[in-house]
Amino acid sequence: MRPEEYLADVEIHWCPGCGNFQIREALVRALAALELPPHRVVLVTGIGQAAKIVHYLRVNGFNGLHGRTIAAAAGLKMVRPDLVVIAESGDGDLYGEGGNHLIHNIRRNVDITVIVHDNRVYGLTKGQASPTAPPGYTTRAQPFGVLSRPFNPLALALALGAGFVAQAFSGDVERTSQIMAAAIRYRGFALVNVLHPCPSWNRVQTFAWYKERIRAVGEEHDPTDFAKAMRLALSDQEVIPVGILYAVEGPTFEERHPVIRRGPPALQPFPALEDLRSVLGEFL
Amino acid sequence: MELVIRLAGAAGQGIQSLGEILARAFFRSGLYLHAELSYHSRIRGGENAFTLRISDQPVFATRKNADLLVVLTEEMWQAYRGKLREGAWVVAEESLGIEGPRVLRLPAGKLAREKLKLPIAMGVILLGAAAKLLGLPEEKLAQALQEVFGEKAGPNLQALSLGYEHGSPPVWELPRPQFGPGERMLLTGGQAVGAGAIAAGCKFLAAYPMTPGTPVMEFLAQRSERFGIVVEQAEDEIAAINMALGAAYGGARAMVTTSGGGFALMVEGLSLAGMIETPVVIHLGQRPGPATGLPTRTSQENLLFALYAGHGEFPRFLCAPRDQESAFYCTIRAFELAEKYQVPGIILTDQFLVDSYAVVPPLDPQRIPVRSHVLSLEELEALPAYQRFALTPSGVSPRALPGLSPHLVLVDSDEHDEFGRITEDLEIRKAMVEKRLKKEKGLKEEVEGPVVYPDVQPSGKTVVLGWGSTFGALREAVEELNSRGGDFLLVHFQDLWPQKWEEIADFLRSARRLITVENNAWGQLGKLLAQETGILPGRHVARYDGRPFVPEELVEVLLREA
Repeated sequence: MRPEEYLADVEIHWCPGCGNFQIREALVRALAALELPPHRVVLVTGIGQAAKIVHYLRVNGFNGLHGRTIAAAAGLKMVRPDLVVIAESGDGDLYGEGGNHLIHNIRRNVDITVIVHDNRVYGLTKGQASPTAPPGYTTRAQPFGVLSRPFNPLALALALGAGFVAQAFSGDVERTSQIMAAAIRYRGFALVNVLHPCPSWNRVQTFAWYKERIRAVGEEHDPTDFAKAMRLALSDQEVIPVGILYAVEGPTFEERHPVIRRGPPALQPFPALEDLRSVLGEFL
Repeated sequence: MELVIRLAGAAGQGIQSLGEILARAFFRSGLYLHAELSYHSRIRGGENAFTLRISDQPVFATRKNADLLVVLTEEMWQAYRGKLREGAWVVAEESLGIEGPRVLRLPAGKLAREKLKLPIAMGVILLGAAAKLLGLPEEKLAQALQEVFGEKAGPNLQALSLGYEHGSPPVWELPRPQFGPGERMLLTGGQAVGAGAIAAGCKFLAAYPMTPGTPVMEFLAQRSERFGIVVEQAEDEIAAINMALGAAYGGARAMVTTSGGGFALMVEGLSLAGMIETPVVIHLGQRPGPATGLPTRTSQENLLFALYAGHGEFPRFLCAPRDQESAFYCTIRAFELAEKYQVPGIILTDQFLVDSYAVVPPLDPQRIPVRSHVLSLEELEALPAYQRFALTPSGVSPRALPGLSPHLVLVDSDEHDEFGRITEDLEIRKAMVEKRLKKEKGLKEEVEGPVVYPDVQPSGKTVVLGWGSTFGALREAVEELNSRGGDFLLVHFQDLWPQKWEEIADFLRSARRLITVENNAWGQLGKLLAQETGILPGRHVARYDGRPFVPEELVEVLLREA
């Protein structure tokens, strides 16, 4: 399939110049490169501008609650390991409201790909600081500037033992698409943090600001080197690494689970009458 | 004929296991029983009391006073010495120094330490002595002990024999067996809900541990491999319900199990289930609130909460099982109706029902037909196009699962069009609200009306209204009152929403007086009845001390209220 065949023919409600357009382009290129039929893919999203992406694509979709994207995606994958499950939403959804689900599904190592649109602000609710906003960033809701330290998704994921940790920049569609394809192909929990400017609300981290700071991890980077990956994840705001920081495969939740290993639990028949009789026999 | 036996000790002394052994021994002797567990929210010390009521007929209520008290600690002696029937016996650890004509004192602690080198066996020694007093043969006890302890039975069998050696000859004559092996079942309400979920084809359960929701999770977890069920301990209750909805979207019959506090966290997810019309079953085991309340006690404080939880308006099925048997069938119905109407199904139990054992007729896994309510591969193939939220006369749209055909399946928590795409078209919004609400009409045709006992018209009678696990106690109380010449009628609800309120209003109109009896302060069924029918019960018998109703106290209070 060609990338454009994954696009839905609908009116798009993103602002002109929004990085979401490039992220969508990168995703459809990745799906096309992996030759995934649209009906084998489920895009699980939450709420926010980024989460609307599910309506702008031609794949299966579960557009759930704000913050609960990864939880719904994990539940789906546990009973339908035959599907390609991608959880995609914004930084507020996945790092703020839904932080707990991020933490514990990294621990589970459910085979899902989590794509985070990280623009450091809340778009749909008009410009409040997100968990990744830098200290001092002022908004109508944060008149004294952000007082908290920014959330570092890459370091957190690495520290929790995530097997695939990557960062991308929406301005580089081709590289972003390659990273996404690698993340989807990866067996296990894959985190792709996609930095993107918000032309409507974020006046600091603009396209030009990112352009000056982005550093692609070079060919020489060894994605199995945990210490190096952690150093990159902890780099200061003046040098922003882009690429696959870490990629090491281990057994997934589904592979370790004795029930899921036998095939998609959701597609198994109702229990046989003799089996039911035997479980009820425990009470005799 | 009935006999009430109470085992009381501290947490950590194995009271629950001892009670279970005794209950099994009576069950194996062909006797009906009800066993109720009352405990403090702690792992060591405090109160742990197992009240076992033996009868020659089915019983679903507990008693306040006991005929035989087996007591392991001074604290429990002080707590229960006043709750003895006339002529009651006491079996006690010698060191407690309890005096009296019908007191059997045993150096159980000493025997356990010195003869068995197993201090924990003190309870089993006392149990053996009590069983002898009750006229139970030692083989019956030994068999039950092996059923409960499994491989750990060895030294406990010795302890049991020591108890029999030091015990006194029987003082009671037990009734003859009322049923033979295989003719009845012994189970708790929690086990019944778990077995119902398995029978309904549940394939996914996510839960965060919370008393009294947890027994259902553990029941399924222990049988998950056998029945292909994914049972996952979620990071929180919000995760649990959203995981369940993800799994249900993928086609698994999915459930969560919790109590009031956990359900409060699930409420946004419940609303999502209403919006994306994705079935999910919620087992809500009630305990007293607000907030953490009394974690190990019972209540019926969440009727209105379960009914109205969730922002926005959407249909749901709400059912409160009356006993262990109906908990099994209610659970299967909750799954079936949730699937058929694509709505959430809530099973409202409580600590009393979840933890109590009762003897019931054999559960029939075929009584409630379990059918698939999703489009088959053949049906999917024959469809030219697919819309997940297609408008239909019943409001129920054919449900496809993703990934089984080229048709795409899109669900959205935003208002959406028939395909599932986000929309702000207000005409579509209206149509979708009407579609969702229309489903309740069909659902309403499937609900069961209240049980009326005795099965007569209410004209001139005092009608007692209740719901859920109070059935056993209320039925006995009404029977007793009527046998004393009273004119009482019990109207007891299991299905609480939807319900045919017009018919209920017509039925109740001729009653002389209406009294609600509920384990809450507000009289929540009374409020619901008033809202739906305009009939406000004149009296409310409230109990909110965390303990279940007992028939003998209900008789007294209903006599006063009537």
